[in-house]
This record gives sequence, C-alpha cells and structure tokens, in this order.
Amino acid sequence: MPGTLLNLRDVSLGYDTCVVLAHLSFTVVCGECLALVGPNGAGKTTLLRGLLGLIPVLAGQIEYGFDRSTSPPGYVPQRDTLDPIFPLSVFEVVLMGTYGRLALLRPVGRRQRQLAADCLERVGLADLANRPFWALSGGQKQRVLIARALAVEPSILLLDEPTAGVDPGAATTIMDLVARLNRDQGLTVVLVSHHLRLVRALVHSVVWVEDGCASKGATEVMLAPERIMEIFGPLRGTE
Amino acid sequence: MNTFIEILSPDFLLREALIGSVLVGCLCPLIGVYFVLRRMIFLGVALPQVSAAGIALAFLTYRMFVGQHQHYVPSERWLAMLGSLSCTLVGLLVLAALARYRETVEARIGITYAIAAAATLLFLAMDPAAEAHMVNLLKGDILATTGPSLTLMAGVFGAVALLLMVFRKEFLLVSFDRDLAVVFGKSAGLWDGLLYLMIGITISLGVMTAGPIVTFGFLVIPPLTARIITRRMLTFSLTAAGLGAITAFAGFYCAYRFDLPLGPAEVALASLVLASVAVTRGLSRVLGRWQAA
Repeated sequence: MPGTLLNLRDVSLGYDTCVVLAHLSFTVVCGECLALVGPNGAGKTTLLRGLLGLIPVLAGQIEYGFDRSTSPPGYVPQRDTLDPIFPLSVFEVVLMGTYGRLALLRPVGRRQRQLAADCLERVGLADLANRPFWALSGGQKQRVLIARALAVEPSILLLDEPTAGVDPGAATTIMDLVARLNRDQGLTVVLVSHHLRLVRALVHSVVWVEDGCASKGATEVMLAPERIMEIFGPLRGTE
Repeated sequence: MNTFIEILSPDFLLREALIGSVLVGCLCPLIGVYFVLRRMIFLGVALPQVSAAGIALAFLTYRMFVGQHQHYVPSERWLAMLGSLSCTLVGLLVLAALARYRETVEARIGITYAIAAAATLLFLAMDPAAEAHMVNLLKGDILATTGPSLTLMAGVFGAVALLLMVFRKEFLLVSFDRDLAVVFGKSAGLWDGLLYLMIGITISLGVMTAGPIVTFGFLVIPPLTARIITRRMLTFSLTAAGLGAITAFAGFYCAYRFDLPLGPAEVALASLVLASVAVTRGLSRVLGRWQAA
C-alpha cells in the first residue's frame, strides 16, 4: 500500500519462545500519529520493541516502508534506561543520533554537528547544549532524547512512554512537541503511553493492547470515555 | 632533583622499566574507562587474577607435555603471554555469555576471582620447578622489562589505543544505549567482542609487565578520578589516560627515590590523587552551597 510505513501481517512477538502478543495485523501510514495503549504488562513495550527490530518476530511478517539500514527509525527510549554515570553533555547525546547514518570509520563532521544543533533548537533546548545530560530534569532529558531521535532524520518516530515519571507541566510540553513534529513537519509518530488524557488530544488512531492481542481504531472510538470507564473504572478513566 | 634528572637520562639503567610502567599507566585507564562506565569494576579485579592463573597453567602444561622450560629466555615470556591471553579471553567470554543474568553478576565475578586465585597457587604447587622466579612472573616484574618486550608492548598498546580512538563512536553507542545501536543496525555482539578482545590483550600484557595489583589499580583508579573532574567523553578518556601516565611516572620516581616496591608505590599514589580530587570536589560543592545560601 503506498504511503505505508509499517505493515504487520499476522505477527507474533515475544521473548525466546514465549509468545506475548499474537496475530497482530495493522498498518501505520505516512503522517499518522498512533498510540499504543493498554493496561500495565499487556505488551505495549514488547510491541514497540518488535516494531524497532529489537526482538525477533516469532511468526508473521513486519514490512517496512523505508530502508532500515540506510534510514533507521527515530527511537526515544525511557530515559531511566540510560545510565547517568556516562559523562556526556546534552550535545554529545544528541550527536549520537547522527551515528545512525554514518558509515563505519566515517568521523562526525561539521554537517552532523550542525544537524545536532538544529535538532536541539527544534526541541527548545539549544541553550543547554553544554550542560551535563545527567544534570537535567526528567522532562528536559526526554526532550533531549527526542532531539537525538530527530538527528537520525527519520521518517518515523517511535517513543516509549515519553511522559513517564515527569511532572504534568513537562508532560504537556513533551506532548505538545510531539504534536508539533507530527502536524507541522509531517513526521509519523508511534508512541506508548499511559497518559490517556494527553494521548486522546494528540493521536489520530490507537492500538489497544490487551490479553495478548491488539486492535486498531480511531481515537474517538478506542478512547471513548464510556469505553475507558468500562475498562479502568471511573477513577482511572479521567487520567 | 638529581634523581629526577637521572631517571630521565637516556642512559638510565631502568629506562625500559620506566617506559613500560608509563605505558601500562596510560593504556590501562583508557580501557578502564569502559570498566567504569559499564559498571564492570569488579571484573577488573577478577580478570588480572584469571590472567595470572593462565600464566601458571601454561607453565604447568608445558612441563607436563614438553618438559622443563628454561628461565630468562624469550620463549618463556611468549609462553606466559599465551597462557595469560587465552585464559583471560576464555574468562571474558564465559562472563560475557552469562552477562544477561544480571541478578547474579557480582556472585559470578567473586567466584571467578576465588577460583582463579586458588588455581594460580595450585598450578604453582603442582609444578615442582616453580620457583621464586615464577612468582615474580605472576606478580609482574616490571624491572625485568627488556627492549624487545617493550617494543612488543608499545606496538600492541598502540594498536589498542588506535582502535579505541577509531571506533570511539561505536563503543560509546553500544555501551551507552545498546538498543539504539541495534536500531542503527550495529552488531552489538561484534563490538562487545572487539572491546573484550582489547580488554583481554591489555590485561594480559599489563599483568605480565606490572602484575595484577597494578593492572587492576590502573584500570579503575585513574578513570574514577577523571570521572569526578570531566563532563565529556573524550576529555574523560584522555584525562584518565593522562592521569595514569603521570601517576605511573611519579610512582616510579618515588619508588626509585625512596627505595619502595614499584607497583604498590604507583597504586598508592594513584589512590592519593583520587582521594585528593574527591575531597577537593566535595569541599568546593559544600563551599558553593554555603555561598549560595
């Protein structure tokens, strides 16, 4: 299908031989903003890792509408997975994103440095370029990781819980940034989130992950208040 | 001052030992940077001991299957190198293969150290020809460094340093964010393997030249010192290597000047530098907070 960036055909994903998600079939088209949502432990991160090629596909097939070797996707991990012991400046972390398109033995040059600086500018953190990465707040770190993903010059951005553990103000800033990248620059976005209220305002479509299966639908249907209420109860439904 | 001029003189009797000492002091921290960043510091204790066990095993095996080896000949050093390198690499591969079971990592490293230390002594005891000379070889005898062994060490260390510099971005990426490296299509296992190979070579040569204590000391102490005072990766690596080289030189000077054992003098000096830097940093932070308040 033209304009399709991801096409999952009867895919099963898991670890070793243990299947976590089975019979997944959906597509992600160019310019789409999609959220992977569902209860804790349902397999949202497993699905994201499968899309990234970090875990093997146990059955079925994932077709990519881009060449992953020459044009890798932009990946924003949960910031807690990165060890603060590394003495890296904000700029060095963003520069790492440019390694994705650099050939072996090819050093980082002026173009890569300019690209990293531009990406920091796009997330509004240009003035923090020389600060140590570990000294930033949770929200700032997350924006730096988004800048790093942009430095890959990706056709699709995949984010794992970008608002986890950040204060509400920072969460809104991060989601606004993601919305802007999708709306103004046409960047395709796939994100895992628990933050249903923010997600509802941002994404076009939702993949609901639960009980080893996943189903895709429009946001207004998948995240309708009555459906959320039914699944999570009245308190969680307003999150 | 006279001693300082004497050890810098081209005719200095222990010139090879001095250069060897500085080379170990420079390269061990360059590799040790990855021990600190990957939180593998305890591995730095175990691997030099595994390397020492490998030397003892090589001599025992030679004696059992070939015959008595001769002391103070070049082939003895090659035999020690072979034993040290092969055991270090096997130890590294086994530990790396088990690395994904993170909950037992400290226990595994502790067990490795205990087994290697016990095996070293057992192999020595089983070899009736084991003498004080062998013990020197196990502990590292930097004063016995010769011109050819120095040339070999300089060549190998130079190659390791060059590889670390050339593949800096790959090693950093795989160490800092392994998932991103895989997303970028890098073979994380291959880069880990190359790094482990260089670690194995450096430790083997370091142990043979300066012994397990000095090798471990320089693998860990200068990088920890540099970590306190640097904020960027490149300056971190270069500062660690520079601190190691300077400490090794100063340690050599102190040992020669005050007739101290060389290895312990170098490690003690490196520790003193670490303590001074940590205390100074702590005081400056307290002072900063006090001024801000």
